[in-house]
Amino acid sequence: MTINSSDLDFYNIKSKLKTYFKQSDEFADYDFEASGLSNIMDVLAYNTHINGLIANMSINESFLSTSQLRSSVVSHAESLGYFPTSMTAARAVVDVEITVLNNAPTSLPLNAGSKFFVTIDETNYEFFTLQTYEAINDTTGKFVFPNVTLVEGKVKTKTFLADSNIDVPYVISDNNIDVSTMSISVFPNGNTSESNNYFNIKEVATITDQSRVYIVREAMNGFYEVLFGDGNVLGQRPQAGNIISIEYISTSGVEGNGGSEFNLNEYTGEDYSTNISLVSASAGGSSRESISQIKMNAPLAFSAQNRLVTADDYTGMIMSKYGSYLRDVSTWGGNDNIPPQYGKVFVSLNFADGINEESKTTIENLIRSQLTSNLSIMSIDTEFVNPEITYLELITRFNVDPVKNISASQLEVAVESIITEYTNLTLSSFDSSFRRSNLLTLIDNHSNAILNSKMEVKVQQRLDIDSIVTDLNVARKALDPQSEDLTFMEKDFTINYPVVIASPDKDDHIIQSSMFKWYDKNVFVRNELGSTRLQLFDVNGDVKLSNAGFYDAAKGTVNLRALRIDVDGYLSSGLKISATPANQSTISPLRNYIIKLDSSGSTVIGNTEQGSTKVLL
Amino acid sequence: MAKNFSIEDGNLYNAPITTSIKRINKDIDTSFTAKPSTGDIYKVTDAAAVKQSVKNLLMTERGKTPFRPYYGGGLETFLFSLSTDLEPSDIENRVRQTIEAHEPRAKLVDVKVTIKEDYNTANVVIVFDVIGSTKRVTLGLTIARTR
Repeated sequence: MTINSSDLDFYNIKSKLKTYFKQSDEFADYDFEASGLSNIMDVLAYNTHINGLIANMSINESFLSTSQLRSSVVSHAESLGYFPTSMTAARAVVDVEITVLNNAPTSLPLNAGSKFFVTIDETNYEFFTLQTYEAINDTTGKFVFPNVTLVEGKVKTKTFLADSNIDVPYVISDNNIDVSTMSISVFPNGNTSESNNYFNIKEVATITDQSRVYIVREAMNGFYEVLFGDGNVLGQRPQAGNIISIEYISTSGVEGNGGSEFNLNEYTGEDYSTNISLVSASAGGSSRESISQIKMNAPLAFSAQNRLVTADDYTGMIMSKYGSYLRDVSTWGGNDNIPPQYGKVFVSLNFADGINEESKTTIENLIRSQLTSNLSIMSIDTEFVNPEITYLELITRFNVDPVKNISASQLEVAVESIITEYTNLTLSSFDSSFRRSNLLTLIDNHSNAILNSKMEVKVQQRLDIDSIVTDLNVARKALDPQSEDLTFMEKDFTINYPVVIASPDKDDHIIQSSMFKWYDKNVFVRNELGSTRLQLFDVNGDVKLSNAGFYDAAKGTVNLRALRIDVDGYLSSGLKISATPANQSTISPLRNYIIKLDSSGSTVIGNTEQGSTKVLL
Repeated sequence: MAKNFSIEDGNLYNAPITTSIKRINKDIDTSFTAKPSTGDIYKVTDAAAVKQSVKNLLMTERGKTPFRPYYGGGLETFLFSLSTDLEPSDIENRVRQTIEAHEPRAKLVDVKVTIKEDYNTANVVIVFDVIGSTKRVTLGLTIARTR
């Protein structure tokens, strides 16, 4: 007789104990829950359950991919040389104007630590300046401080008496620390103001026994702890009796993003008039790296070995350093680019909301100076390209059961929201594919009144005519300042789609554009039936230009030859050019393409089924 | 004219068809006293096993048994009620509900509860029949603080 005790469930374990007792006539009351025997079986089963659970949990917690506890995940990541990122403080840039109404001095300081307040989602947040700014009186008593950088949070200081034991870490009991802002000074004793600065080991290229470095890592309980070198290979360490002062910013992280209306806490009162104008709203604040992010990033960082060799190295390194500013990153080698450009790595950054153009350029420069210049293979250049948005036009049709007490129009609203929710959840990032059958399954399952559904899928690229015309005007004015603005533009376009386009069809047009003005007529582009040739049609469907270019189905390109668009009357929403993909079931974008839903180009049509199975065809 | 039918067809005159499964309740004696001869613990059988079971049930606190939060009589909780809030019927109802829910071998005949406020004590006398047996059992419980 054996008792299988590998089960985790209490009742399963107890039922196996009962099976054991059934095989003997020694006791008969095992089935009655109030019996003494049942009580003893409860204890035995509970004990086995707890032992099984502990064994299972111990094994799970032993590996990075199955760990559930944050402390286990962090510990495994550290063994791979990966230190999860802490919270980061949001930063904003503002222009500050202070007018001194009486007895204005010649210069005015805006000191480091000056406090600014902002309300985000009905909560007040405190920002402050990291450095001192100085402004000169413009003779009217006005002092202008341009591009003042504000950081969200509060500066805190923790002071420790150095211990003689090198294994004892110094614990900073704060979950909200932004580790990148930490600075450590070590004073010989409490009576002197002269100190030595220590630096984060991750920022130091060479370490000798004289280096002053510290290691900061997340502790078991979520706080942070600081360790110093051993006095030999890992650099100097503070001597027993030294005073260690650790200064850092304690931040609200992601909650500090989106602040725009700042108020200065100084220079208030009747002697001053203050005006703060926004340059860029607060952004870049982030929560500390989540368990799932650590599980994804730690192996990537380990395989990259702090070097940029493969495309995944770039993705892992950029996300781990600048993930707070980014939603997603896509990288690919120049050999995979269209057209191929050897000796280059292409990086496309999908920025988080609220990052302005200036900050985007700064982050790109930081990636170049701090990562790619130092860590990539020699002679490989990094080129940043903007994400390309490919829109989806979804024409959804479904049949409604007339017996069920729900109308087609009610279901149309519900199906629209299912489509919006699905696309919001699964798309809008690199490498995210649209899978039609998944979406149709959701629609079919929404209500038993929906009998069946189908969906036509089109991919759409947009031409930003406004910016093209603006660029052309700027170029013309550079050559001839007297030249007038263009009244029309004429240009060749090659529009790339991230998918193979369908072959020409005799019944349906594969390519179709939105309406635009051409020689003052409303026209649109579409392909000739059964041909890849593109033509201009008017609203009546008459051909106005028989050859406007062609499309290449296999390459996924639409080539428009000398396309003329009148500037006057153009409706500035981008010229939409839609194509039917060869495979409508799966739309998997390549490289820097991101898929989004074009709500205005998508429709949902519910049709109440009227057919009967009891009639002849 | 009289006719003979088979037993299967409903003729019960020539042989009884009632049968029963002989089942004896056998449980561990929860006093855990050892037999002097063998060192094994004693068993309780028949009505005594059911009586022990009912006592176990009523004296078990609710929430104490793993994964069965509603199992148990929880009579001890009444000790800490205010005497003015406590009626004998509260305890009687609890006893009835608990036995009906968790002890199918006992058919309750009567429950009597006497509350002695001055002694912080309640006496409960439970009378029940053991199903499958002719025996009627009387179980007396005293709920009192131990110190």
